[in-house]
Amino acid sequence: MVFSWLHLAIVLFLLGGLLFGVGPLLLAVLLGPQAKGGDLGMPFECGMRPHGSSWVKWGISYYCYALIFLAFDVDVLYLFPVATAYGSTEGWLPFVKVFIFLFVLGISIVYFWAKGVFSWPRRIKL
Amino acid sequence: MSIHPQLLHLIIALIAVMAWVGLNALVLVYFERKGAGFIQRRPGPFEVGPQGIIQPLVDGIKLMCKQLVMPTGADPVLFWTAPLLSMTPVLLLFLVLPYGPWLTGMQIDLGILLILAFAGINVLALLIAGWSSNNKYGLLGAARAVAQSVAYEIPLLLAVLAVAFTTGTLDFVKITEGQGPWPWQWNMVYQPLAFIIFIISAVGECNRAPFDLPEAESELTAGFHTEFSSMGFGLFFMAEYSYMVVVASVASTLFLGGYQGPFGSDGWWWYLPKVYAILMFMIWIRWTYPRVTFVQLLNINWKWLLPLGTVNLLATAFFMKLF
Repeated sequence: MVFSWLHLAIVLFLLGGLLFGVGPLLLAVLLGPQAKGGDLGMPFECGMRPHGSSWVKWGISYYCYALIFLAFDVDVLYLFPVATAYGSTEGWLPFVKVFIFLFVLGISIVYFWAKGVFSWPRRIKL
Repeated sequence: MSIHPQLLHLIIALIAVMAWVGLNALVLVYFERKGAGFIQRRPGPFEVGPQGIIQPLVDGIKLMCKQLVMPTGADPVLFWTAPLLSMTPVLLLFLVLPYGPWLTGMQIDLGILLILAFAGINVLALLIAGWSSNNKYGLLGAARAVAQSVAYEIPLLLAVLAVAFTTGTLDFVKITEGQGPWPWQWNMVYQPLAFIIFIISAVGECNRAPFDLPEAESELTAGFHTEFSSMGFGLFFMAEYSYMVVVASVASTLFLGGYQGPFGSDGWWWYLPKVYAILMFMIWIRWTYPRVTFVQLLNINWKWLLPLGTVNLLATAFFMKLF
């Protein structure tokens, strides 16, 4: 792999961002008080003692949307190279190809819509 | 031994971006509070300095002088990773934004892709923050943040793609130069629907009111950053404002002609008013509209923005072939 100026810039800026975050945190450690004890370490749930840990199994009914997201996000990514080349193409064939691609994507939305996913039921039957 | 000019350029850009991010956080906090005050018919910050202008700086110093508290049941590694992870990619996003003809960190072919890729890391930071703090409010906020960001990313991509189709490039400088200095030569005129979709989903991506469900104060105290005190909270806050600036900059580059000015007067003096106009707009709608419910939020996205974005992209491709 060739290490280009862009890679250097990305590494440099990420390091800069890290410093930009670590600096204020360190300052806060140095300047802030160091109180201990009492209920300081209790999670803030409006003053009441929490009932158990929050790391429990609970139903996220969003996983269907995560699936649509994956379908769209990955497929839309394929359109970025198309976008750069589309302007210089000739004839209607490229449009037909883009149309088929987006049409199939659109069908996924229609499918989920028809299955009642967007009426937000507790359980989704597919 | 002399420093390579490209390296020097990068280091200067990095320092400038650092100053710009820090300054923007202060200025935007002030504008936000003054704007809120104006809309709610009260003076806003008033005591510290003339018209309260030093208030954000004093607040920042106050935040630094508070104790960093971590709940006893939390996951320490992830708990401290989260604010850093939120802040780390922010500076990189400014690398490719053209603030002026010579005021660009680096001109690369894949500018849009770089911003989209690294801006996505913030979602992970919010998820880690909410989950690791072992707080039920935090957990709910994190789940909401993920569902929302995931949903609003797609219309954002589709709106950006529509512009990329018409300009045929992913390079911010070339997109800017593809537009003219006058408002009727901007991409906004050719892509009005994409512009509206972009602005709405940008507000959703930034977790700003009326779409600030991940930190809805009235339901979740503070959502994913409930347990973060002192600068832990400060970093999330600063990152959020920086993402707003990035989104506004991207919008003004893609749709509002970027740094171009009439009669060859290109420069940041045209760019900044556009960026700040969009930021002011975001502040304005934050204090005007009530918060939507979560189902409404997702329905706006899946039932309106996404089909409209797809149709818009198809129409763009069609009209490009027609003319």
